Amino acid sequence: MNKANIVIAAQDLVVFAGTNKLLGPITFSLEKGNTLVIMGETGAGKSLLAQAILGTLPKGLTAEGIVHLNGERIDQLTTQQRSSFWGREVAILPQEPWRALDPLMRAHSQVHESHRYVAGLSAKAAKQATTNDFQTLELSGAEKRLPNALSGGMAQRVAFAAATAADAQILIADEPTKGLDADRSNTVIDLLTNVPRKNGALLAITHEAHVARRLGGDVLVLKSGNLIESGNTQQVLEQPSADYTQQLLAAEPKAWPSTPAVAVGAVLLDVKNISVNRGNRTLLEGFSLLLRENERVAIAGPSGVGKTSLLDVLSGLIRPSAGKVTRSERLGTTAIQKLYQDPPAAFPSHITLGKSLRDVARLHGEKWSTVLGYLSRLGINEALLNRRPDAVSGGELQRISIARALTAKPAILLADEPTSRLDPITQRETLSMIADIAADKAIAVVLVTHDLVIAEKWADRSIKLS
Amino acid sequence: MNNPSILTSLPAESTLSISRVIGFILLLGLAVCAIMGPALIGMDPAKQSLMDTLQPPSATHWLGTDHLGRDMLARLLSGAQLSLSLAALSVITAAIPGTALGIAAAWRGGWTDRILTLFADAVLALPGLLLVLMLAAISPGSWWALYAGLSLTLWVEYFRYTRQRVRVVLAEPSVEASRLLGFGAMHIVRRHLLPEIGPGLLTIAAFGAATSVTGVAALGFVSVGIRPPTAEWGVMMTELLPYWREASFLIFQPVICLVITVLALHLSAGERKP
Repeated sequence: MNKANIVIAAQDLVVFAGTNKLLGPITFSLEKGNTLVIMGETGAGKSLLAQAILGTLPKGLTAEGIVHLNGERIDQLTTQQRSSFWGREVAILPQEPWRALDPLMRAHSQVHESHRYVAGLSAKAAKQATTNDFQTLELSGAEKRLPNALSGGMAQRVAFAAATAADAQILIADEPTKGLDADRSNTVIDLLTNVPRKNGALLAITHEAHVARRLGGDVLVLKSGNLIESGNTQQVLEQPSADYTQQLLAAEPKAWPSTPAVAVGAVLLDVKNISVNRGNRTLLEGFSLLLRENERVAIAGPSGVGKTSLLDVLSGLIRPSAGKVTRSERLGTTAIQKLYQDPPAAFPSHITLGKSLRDVARLHGEKWSTVLGYLSRLGINEALLNRRPDAVSGGELQRISIARALTAKPAILLADEPTSRLDPITQRETLSMIADIAADKAIAVVLVTHDLVIAEKWADRSIKLS
Repeated sequence: MNNPSILTSLPAESTLSISRVIGFILLLGLAVCAIMGPALIGMDPAKQSLMDTLQPPSATHWLGTDHLGRDMLARLLSGAQLSLSLAALSVITAAIPGTALGIAAAWRGGWTDRILTLFADAVLALPGLLLVLMLAAISPGSWWALYAGLSLTLWVEYFRYTRQRVRVVLAEPSVEASRLLGFGAMHIVRRHLLPEIGPGLLTIAAFGAATSVTGVAALGFVSVGIRPPTAEWGVMMTELLPYWREASFLIFQPVICLVITVLALHLSAGERKP
């Protein structure tokens, strides 16, 4: 290893909240032309590592340990002092970049601003540089658009251009593929792999094994803030030595065993040739589906094709603009239940979960012990019911919402990306629980997902929308 | 991982600040004085005694007597009763229709929303005291005109706040989930909407009460509100103003009462949220 090439070196880096250790100790170094991937589940402290280097830790958290950036020791510097190298030496590509862009500023100006004020170019040179960026990133034509008129992939490229405008050699990418469908996530990975190729250095944070595999370089696997395993990315991912890394890899949809098929029963829902509109836009045309008892159907497709609107039509919340949805006569008014993408938003936010569930049990004349039975089957500790939805993790909350749906004795369960915000291990657990319970109670499930692999592995039948 | 976010494990900010607690204590004290006071001291606030005018505080008249020899303490307490009950009444009759209409506008949308919003904006375009003055002119000196005028101006704030918040909450998946689970409108109001708007409504109520206390006193002071001989703080200020040279302690008494009441209400309202 060539010492002169090391751009970031951290030695025994630890992050504390008061006296409570959240992360570390972690030692690593990153060289020019190389990539370092940090892997681990949500809450493992991955983002804290990036923040500790940049000096942007949330209030109340402190970092210890020695950090060198381009040969200069920076761990003693204040946030103010460190801000001088933001954008110039280190750039950060934030999570969900379309939220990081200024919603009232046109795409061109966001990038221009970085060239002009961070890199310090003259107005004319900055304009030229921006135009070049837009050309190389294939964004020509989008200069005058506001962020809400950019597609997710374009927004990501604009954010990338703005972040790297001042020629920072080190790029930190925090969950760059979070919430993206396959196409967009490929675009981002391509952008990122270019960084080390151009003699820069990339520090990428992800929980997805396939992203890590494509980025290559070295990997650190974190669990609950502790370093579990490290080494060459390809080697670690091929022959993981730690149990946790193995679990993480087994949770990748690609590695899932196919869910066993079940015998289907009578037709519950007959959807014939429907069209779905949102506003003046037609999202879907001529969609048909015959949903039977016990069946698992996946509807897969990229963001924005109208998957969620389709579920609204199936559940009867909105009417199709053409075509017909026929419900079987045995379906009562509450026979269709739904699981949501963002579990905290699916519960009344000001009352405890226990209160919410008791309300549902009372309404449906279900015994409280039955509800507790569902919860224990889903592995939920009863003590969590004293909390409000925002104090419970996403995975637990999604399982509680499964229990809530079961209390209404549904015949059909519509699941709208129920696991896209969960980390891989929790995602796998949650989906296999849904499959088990559905088979047990003869419930038909419609799963909406942007992940084609999940659709293939999990469902009896998958429908691709495009 | 049982740790959704690092930030939620940090201590949450306390919502009950010291100043709010002081506000509540003051308010409680005032309410107790207004309710129990007149009965406890057992003196008629209207009873004149022309032999004992402008007396300084003494054992029989703790706060002295006014220009007609009436007991100041009895008059102040009776004034407190009047101001606070009028404030409470106008808050209740403004809050209930304001909130209900706000929920209705957000829930129904369309024409219901447009018409209600137009009506609220029209009321808002009139200066509040002007409406009260107009009603007071129809029925001079009666308390109901004051009360009706205050309620009519105050409901708009509840309406606007409720409509705004409720629109946001109704768009959340949690409301959709509750509907799919078979819950009716009352459940959604009770479990989703009221807990969300409750704290904001309390803040508006406290400011509204302060507005109506000062409004009543201001109208009394310019002789268009409550009429003498009723003991009302604004009326007392007008009556006592000519005597401020001979017995300056008198005029300060209703002023201090008014200041403490408004202060108590503002403190208990807490931080005003946008």
